[in-house]
Amino acid sequence: MLPLIALTAACGMVPPEPHTDQAKEIFWLYNVILVMGGIVFVAVEGFIVYSIFRYRRRDDRLPTQVHGNSLVELIWTAIPTVIVLILFVLSTVTLNSISARSDHPGVTIDVEGKQWSWVFHYLDADADPTNDVMVSGGALDPPVMALPVGEPVLLRLRSNDVIHSFFVPAFLVKTDVVPTGDRPPNELEFTVSEAGTYSGQCAEFCGDLHARMTFSVQAMPRTDFDAWLAVMRPTQTPAPSLPEGSAVLKVSADNSTFDTHELTAPAEEAFGIEFTNDEAVAHNVAIYQRGEPIFNGAYFTGPGTTIYVIDALPAGDYTFICDVHPVPDMTGTLTVR
Amino acid sequence: MATTTLSPTAKGYRRSWVIEWLTTVDHKKIGILYIVNAFLFFFAAGILALVVRSELAIPGLQFLDERTYNQAFTMHGTIMIFLFVVPVLSGFANYIVPLQLGAPDMAFPRINALSFWFLPAGGLLIFSGYLFGGAAAEGWTLYAPLSNGTYATGVGTDLWLIGLLLVGTASILGAVNFIATIFKMRAPGMTLFRMPILVWTVLVTATLILLATPVLAAGMIALFIDRNYGGSFFDPNAGGNPVLWQHLFWFFGHPEVYIVILPAMGVVSEILPVFTRRPLFGYRAFVYATIAIGLLSFSVWAHHMFTTGQVFLPFFSFMTALIAIPTGVKMFNWLATLWRGSITFATPMLFALGFLSMFLIGGISGVMLSAPPVDFHLQDTYFVVAHLHYVFFGGSVFGVFAATYYWFPKMTGRRLNERLGKVHFWLHFIGFNLAFFPQHILGIQGMPRRVSDYSPDAGWTILNLVSTAGAFMIAVSILPFLVNLVATFINGEQVGDDPWEGNTLEWATSSPPPPYNFDKLPPIRSERPVFDLRHRHDAEHLAADLTVPEGGHS
Repeated sequence: MLPLIALTAACGMVPPEPHTDQAKEIFWLYNVILVMGGIVFVAVEGFIVYSIFRYRRRDDRLPTQVHGNSLVELIWTAIPTVIVLILFVLSTVTLNSISARSDHPGVTIDVEGKQWSWVFHYLDADADPTNDVMVSGGALDPPVMALPVGEPVLLRLRSNDVIHSFFVPAFLVKTDVVPTGDRPPNELEFTVSEAGTYSGQCAEFCGDLHARMTFSVQAMPRTDFDAWLAVMRPTQTPAPSLPEGSAVLKVSADNSTFDTHELTAPAEEAFGIEFTNDEAVAHNVAIYQRGEPIFNGAYFTGPGTTIYVIDALPAGDYTFICDVHPVPDMTGTLTVR
Repeated sequence: MATTTLSPTAKGYRRSWVIEWLTTVDHKKIGILYIVNAFLFFFAAGILALVVRSELAIPGLQFLDERTYNQAFTMHGTIMIFLFVVPVLSGFANYIVPLQLGAPDMAFPRINALSFWFLPAGGLLIFSGYLFGGAAAEGWTLYAPLSNGTYATGVGTDLWLIGLLLVGTASILGAVNFIATIFKMRAPGMTLFRMPILVWTVLVTATLILLATPVLAAGMIALFIDRNYGGSFFDPNAGGNPVLWQHLFWFFGHPEVYIVILPAMGVVSEILPVFTRRPLFGYRAFVYATIAIGLLSFSVWAHHMFTTGQVFLPFFSFMTALIAIPTGVKMFNWLATLWRGSITFATPMLFALGFLSMFLIGGISGVMLSAPPVDFHLQDTYFVVAHLHYVFFGGSVFGVFAATYYWFPKMTGRRLNERLGKVHFWLHFIGFNLAFFPQHILGIQGMPRRVSDYSPDAGWTILNLVSTAGAFMIAVSILPFLVNLVATFINGEQVGDDPWEGNTLEWATSSPPPPYNFDKLPPIRSERPVFDLRHRHDAEHLAADLTVPEGGHS
């Protein structure tokens, strides 16, 4: 039983399989340090356990009173010195190697972290940002960052609210997303070595929904990546706006409770929901029918008001709910007729 | 020492025990007040830990919403560090240091009382956020700009700042008092290099508090101005820098780690020699190592900030790795003290040995984190949570329990029940490892800290469940401890003045000691005056029998 636990623990102490060129170096360094640490651990714990059994008190004789020994003390000052110097050299060499920058990254992405979602802005050669590929998403529909395999990827990590951190465990790296004002943002460069889907999430505590600030990375060959970019490139459709004279329903939330649990909207025409969030807790309004999402409003922390624009719906019964707090107090019926 | 002209056993005028305890300036009573107060906060913060672990046992939010969860882990960390570990060690130091120096009291008894009474006041202010719209919820590190007025709107964060300023003021006053006491109140013959190791560690700790705490206080005042009076120290959009807060916080925060661990190392260095019946191996080297750790602690703060992109990594990595050297020296000194000893396993010794083996793990994981590339992966994951608990809990808190079992007979004249003590130790030791070892693995596999929830697909469920079970086991282990305290206090075994055959001066007076501590002092010729007194015939024999004395110590 005990060896089994020890074996499981030892396996767990090895990081996830690395999937970038840089991560492979970190993986190697980590394992070297782990082995050194393991040796120290076994030696010292072994000594403690041995002493406990070997030198337990057997009689009243006073053991020899040894106060110290300069030579021995000198030697065991040297041992950790040598270990940490080796470790420092190895880690600095690795650090320089993984911090190296390429002159022409294959793709550059402005990554914006915000409470509590991510926006990935793929920068392209033309100066016009309106046709750039932007991917965003939050707690319920985490965004996907597509990346080409085998090319250096440069991320510029921006924030306009609090500090977040971009973390992909399979890449063995994280870098803080710091609001820097006018100063340049943090950057992170890596080269993904294997195609695949890797999960990531915010690693710097950033408020209420920190745990929900997830995303995933999809690494693919260059040709697939180009095809993906083409699909994602925005066609020139303006953001939906509410036609004149549409119905606007009002909902407000306080103490994690909606003020109404019954709403009625006209069928087959767009309408608005004016949502007032009266408290400093994130809420939204989302519409579902038989568990299928119809509309998910962006959530935000109050106090504040937003107007959600909902496309025309066929007549029927729908549920409206706060995605953040899907509890009875934040659930209601939307009748469309 | 003018006080020696007063008879040490002189009775004051009589007053009710409530008034006596509320107005006392006796370092022993204040020490006990510190310890009792700290344990009350320990239980409160422990309950918060159980709340946190219950929520994390399985994926999904079962008990709390996110905000309540965030308040729980913020308060847990704040209270444990600032109102339990630091004050409880101050409490033991308050009780023991004057006794070990052969002094009648601390240098400034009234300031001593003042610095204690700030603590419950500050602690209650920090907690009172719960009554005024919610406690602080930004983590015990209170990182800007999450903690500024835009994102942390509640008054709980202001109460946290004010409360902690009071606690910090108490620490600074206490530190001045300890330094003055150690330099000015030593008994005749008690030279610096005959001081017990605990006194040395308290001296270095007090110096760290004196130099580091004002920096945090300045940072907290700046943050308070940002929040309430339109300041922009940490606001990037108005020329401030949020990472500046991290520099200020950790310039205090890393010395704080040693403020918490050094006195616990001192406790262990008192207990090991008594229960191995040998002197601490390499006393001077141990003192120099303690001073070296203190000095280095001011040059490593930014290793908490390797991923911020605003730190010169090689410098802080190098300085951090250097700390492993004096720490390693201490570990070897402890091991050599065990070697060829005559070891008995009373409960204080069990906790001291627990300290050695658990602090070792915290030390090794600390060295791993000192390599920036490795830190890039592990920073802000559960690996760091595991690391800090192996240092704070496996290290300091094991030291606190060792101290409690060791000095309880000095404080009361009664020894805590050994059988209950051993039950406490083993439940505690196993529960601790169940709770925190799996967190290393969770962190390495990529689970971030401070999350209220995690995906059921992440593969983290079983380890989280084990960790929660371990946390509850620690809570259960506290029950025999409490029963033991109460039962022993009422009707425990009376064991006289020196039940452990101690080495240092506190064992040369009665248990509990009289108001001004000593009627007479034994001659002080080494760091173990009471040992010398007990074995003076052996020593004479040795001197006569041996042509070559062992070691080089006089």
